[in-house]
Amino acid sequence: MEFKRHKLDNGLQIVAELNPSAKSAAVGLFIKTGARDEPDRYSGISHFLEHMIFKGTERLDAIAVNEAFDRTGAHFNAFTTEENTVYYAAVLPEYLEQVTALWIELMRPALRSGDLELERQVILQEIAMYKDQPDRQVLEQCRSLHYDGHPCGKIVIGTDKTVSSLTADQIRSYLQQRYVPNNMIVAFAGNLDWDRCCGLVEASCSQWQSADTDRQVGHFAGTMKSQWEDRDGLSCEHICLMHQAVSAQDQRRFMAALLASIVGDDTGSRYYWHLVDNATALSATMQYWPMDGTGALCSYLSCRKGMARKVLEVTEGIFEDLYTKGIGQQELERAKNKIISALVIRDEVPMGRLIDIAMNWLYLGQYRTIEQEVRDLRSVTVEDINRLIKELDLRRFTSYVLRPANGKGN
Amino acid sequence: MHTAALRVPFSKVMPTHDQYIMPNGMVVLGQPMEAVQTAAFVFMLPAGSSRMPEGTCGAANVIADWLFRGAGDMDSRQLCDALDGLGLQRYTAVDHTHLTIGATMEASHLHQALGLYGEVISRPWLDPEQFELARQLAIDEVKALDDDPQEKVLLELKERFYPYPLGRHPVGRIDQLQSLQAQHVASLLGQHIRPSRAIFGVAGMYDFGQVCDQLEALFGQDSTAGPEPIRPGPVGPRYTHIPLESAQVHIGLMTPTVGPADPDYYHARVTVSILSGGMSSRLFVQVREKRGLCYAVNARYHCLKEAAGIICYAGTTPPHAQQTLQIIIDQFRGLSQGLTDSELDRAKAGLKSGLILSSESSTRRAAAICTDYHLLGRVRDLDQIKAAIDAVTIEGIQDFLARHPFDDFTVVTIGPNPVELPWDHGIQAA
Repeated sequence: MEFKRHKLDNGLQIVAELNPSAKSAAVGLFIKTGARDEPDRYSGISHFLEHMIFKGTERLDAIAVNEAFDRTGAHFNAFTTEENTVYYAAVLPEYLEQVTALWIELMRPALRSGDLELERQVILQEIAMYKDQPDRQVLEQCRSLHYDGHPCGKIVIGTDKTVSSLTADQIRSYLQQRYVPNNMIVAFAGNLDWDRCCGLVEASCSQWQSADTDRQVGHFAGTMKSQWEDRDGLSCEHICLMHQAVSAQDQRRFMAALLASIVGDDTGSRYYWHLVDNATALSATMQYWPMDGTGALCSYLSCRKGMARKVLEVTEGIFEDLYTKGIGQQELERAKNKIISALVIRDEVPMGRLIDIAMNWLYLGQYRTIEQEVRDLRSVTVEDINRLIKELDLRRFTSYVLRPANGKGN
Repeated sequence: MHTAALRVPFSKVMPTHDQYIMPNGMVVLGQPMEAVQTAAFVFMLPAGSSRMPEGTCGAANVIADWLFRGAGDMDSRQLCDALDGLGLQRYTAVDHTHLTIGATMEASHLHQALGLYGEVISRPWLDPEQFELARQLAIDEVKALDDDPQEKVLLELKERFYPYPLGRHPVGRIDQLQSLQAQHVASLLGQHIRPSRAIFGVAGMYDFGQVCDQLEALFGQDSTAGPEPIRPGPVGPRYTHIPLESAQVHIGLMTPTVGPADPDYYHARVTVSILSGGMSSRLFVQVREKRGLCYAVNARYHCLKEAAGIICYAGTTPPHAQQTLQIIIDQFRGLSQGLTDSELDRAKAGLKSGLILSSESSTRRAAAICTDYHLLGRVRDLDQIKAAIDAVTIEGIQDFLARHPFDDFTVVTIGPNPVELPWDHGIQAA
């Protein structure tokens, strides 16, 4: 594996990890903008813009864009999160430059009004689809409750109201402020010719003008509020818990990832033995969400009707036990083995590796090999985790419960 | 191909993969991969939902959980700790035909992992108390499906589309789960979790000779008669509506087509790719890009050994459900019209590239070789698949569609109101 990097005068950064033995290659454009960067009245604008990127440029209409991608056989798509918008493609090596050129061209979209109205309908359908996914709903609601008033609590997709009112001018203005070269990176992984890929990006993007971008960054511990919502049409009870955690830039992120696995991996974790193994809950998992300047541990649990109080009681017992007694050496070793093995498996494929390379560059400005990641995970001790549990005070968390309205559940 | 340390005879020597049939009938397949440090294996055990007797819908799902609740000299916790200690990324799935269990890992752990799975398959504890917990979780899983209409509509659809019981619900039915007895399920497990009737696949970095030796030692003694053949009955109702106060109407639709062993198989695959391969495919363009009716709309090929179909999903808000269904049906029925070389080329490019991209994952490769063997009795070589895709022409597709038109549909909807079937005005929802 060889790492390459280049920075254009306008601030655009290009990074690549070359793996000549890979059968495929992957490219991604990572723009540091997401829900947390949106003004309240424009909630959902990052995601709306992501959709509009696919609708083409002055030269290419939406159908032509889709056909151009499909001619290469690329597995391509995009996603918007609270803090990044990512356009990616996994492709056979001979099509990498073609797909890269296409993504770059699309970064300057036409934003035609007819396309905008059509895509607005698609996004309203997407919002409706998520309303029928209570597992997703409870996470969004809990996030808003946890980060009440903080930018990290904003909903990526927006609301029916904001999406219905966004205009082409507002989206264009947002694009001009956020899709600037100093706020994005182009990353490659897999089987690729660095000189040609880098040359292509430089030739296509060096005229882009940089601009000042900022983001409100700071740790936020969360509101630690608790809320229950009764909803018609539900069958089960859905629970989300959010704890504060360390940021993506914090060296203790390895400890937080291990802690989340110890508490809530889907096999062999504290949640598993206290909740799932004995059929108190159907599922119970915890994930570590590293973010820019802050972080969270997010748990999702689901159970049959009438069990949510019991499930919450058990989780409180788990957190109290961890706070007072800490973790054991064996469970830490198992968590390390699981996380390291998942990392190695994911990064064997260029598309998996692409995300890790780009995220490390975005958040840390560092290239990190898989070996470095493994070494940092291996070096975490029981004492490190126990200290982190105290610092985060696992006994305190925000909770949101979505349950069937009385008499309406199955 | 790996031949090092080969101590067992091959029944066949294949040019691109490893294959060994044990004397008791267990099929052992291998797919070596260059430049990977991982190995993945799967056991496809003939214990899928359609293989269970009438009145036990969901038993396969209970077995999938119960199997791991203690085996050999390890209780449930010791077993789980041992599996987690190796860092295994575990995989358990129940489909219509098989219970598939497997794991992906750093290659150095393969031998130990196989040893643990050997215990699970051959010496599960089957503790009755643990059975109750496994059954409760299976019941909860059925209830959870009510909160996931997108997934539920497709499972309900497959059950109605395939001649019963081929597509029987793999998650289960609550009343039947409630009446299951531990002793009965243990006997089902004894009949169906049989290594001698299993297909095993390994992919990535492994030594095939060592793997075969180990499997012989673990499972060589197992022998059992072949399964009772399933005698498929009639298909289910043509239209079912399941009422739910949901935001969207979830539409599932399926139409029959040729099976995986049929000479027209690649015609069917390329045709589905034209219908719903990439973002320039007909369904996506007509339903989403031109009309904004849906966020999610897609169709794909789905098959069992005995039957196959094109399965389609669309989710849309109630006022748009009727129009969405109509346009989807129109796209299915009008597929042979207006075919162009460029859309054929895009469909082929998508299929071929998907083959290569998925071949980079040891997990997907291990599953693919087992599925091939189950469906066809052989493992297909990637180059042969590519050549077969390339050989498809517009004339070939038109001829295929003339002989196998997409015009007979089974439909399931979940949502506030039923839809009216465009070809059958006046028929009420079942």
